[in-house]
Amino acid sequence: MPRAFTASGAVTSSSRTEHPAVLDACRQLEREGCAVTYLKPGVDGIVVPAQVEEALRSDTILVSLMHVNNEIGVVQDVAAIGRLCRSRGVLFHVDAAQGVGKLALDVERDCIDLLALTAHKVHGPKGVGALCVRREPRLGLVPLLHGGGQERGLRSGTLPTHQVVGMGAALRIAALEMAADAARITRLRERLWQGLAALPGVTLNGHPTRRVPGILSVSIDGVEGESLLYALPGLAVASGSACATSTGEPSYVLRALGRSDRLAQSTLRLSLGRFSTEADVERAIEAIVTAVSRLRAIAPGSGA
Amino acid sequence: MSDADPRYGAEVRARMASLAGAGRFAPSPDVAPGRAGDREHGAEVVLTCRVIAGRVEEARFQAFGCPHLVAAASWLTDRLRGAGREDLEHWDWREVADALAVPPAKFGRLLTLQDAVRAVAGNWPGAAASTV
Repeated sequence: MPRAFTASGAVTSSSRTEHPAVLDACRQLEREGCAVTYLKPGVDGIVVPAQVEEALRSDTILVSLMHVNNEIGVVQDVAAIGRLCRSRGVLFHVDAAQGVGKLALDVERDCIDLLALTAHKVHGPKGVGALCVRREPRLGLVPLLHGGGQERGLRSGTLPTHQVVGMGAALRIAALEMAADAARITRLRERLWQGLAALPGVTLNGHPTRRVPGILSVSIDGVEGESLLYALPGLAVASGSACATSTGEPSYVLRALGRSDRLAQSTLRLSLGRFSTEADVERAIEAIVTAVSRLRAIAPGSGA
Repeated sequence: MSDADPRYGAEVRARMASLAGAGRFAPSPDVAPGRAGDREHGAEVVLTCRVIAGRVEEARFQAFGCPHLVAAASWLTDRLRGAGREDLEHWDWREVADALAVPPAKFGRLLTLQDAVRAVAGNWPGAAASTV
């Protein structure tokens, strides 16, 4: 969207812990001449409104912030930041991929001008998402794709009707189930955390309470990340971000929170969803505790 | 995941399942220890060998690292049995790389293992003071 303004060197503010879908777009905007400010979250993963206010400049046109972090699950105060942006005449974009269907958002109340979401995070089909665009006053978006003029000229190309219908159905179910799902999944996540916290040397990543129900990120001292994942064959867990594991690099999100490279590499991201059960959680706790204890027992300094 | 994961060969999987040779001998005049690597770099190994009549009677390992490193350390505890000091001084990491089909990206971890073997040779009973 800021492409229309790059000639004037306009500023976009974002967080260092955004998803690559946003960070890579920001870097492309920088290559095109747009200045971007990357805010550093606190050790709890939260970007506070005062940081955004301090970063705003007279030529800032856009602030982009994720609602829920995909790796550590913390929830940003998009309502306060939205009001701030609106009061300063700055457009506000929210990456709501992880939060949609799990936490309530109101684009009108929260002063959100642009909101991006994806279907597959709410049990919908992969390959389809949506960008909610404030209708009035018009934002003057510039299309990236040309040819056909679909979607009010913003994204040309024939729409995949089956995907769109699937996304709509998934979002409708998510809205109906959201309150019950949130309460139940939060209880499961708390039980999971309690079970893992019984191990020494386990650290919760992110704010302890401002969290989405279904994501738990823990760093486990004294074990090597690849061996830990190897030892958990029955669990679909990720070490750091699933989007970054192919690189072998420690998670940039965890590093932004001040975690050492070693601890970042021995981090597990555990995701819970609508179909997770108490039995699943108990099995996960037992498997992780057993694996960690076994690996620690063979590590130098274990006294074995 | 790991059973079918093509990154790990059968020997690696078997070693990770059994962790054969894990542990450490208590300090003693007939025990040669060797340490190499550090956790900050993702690989740390401690080997301890009980030496009888100039030969390794038994070896144990402790390891912090990826499955290939742990499995290689376990494999080495069998390989070193019966070896003399000169064997350890000349032991080459490529032997275990071949035996366990370790991918090239992990060769650096095996050099840590080789360093630990050399350290054991340096701490051979009757040699200079222990470094571990």
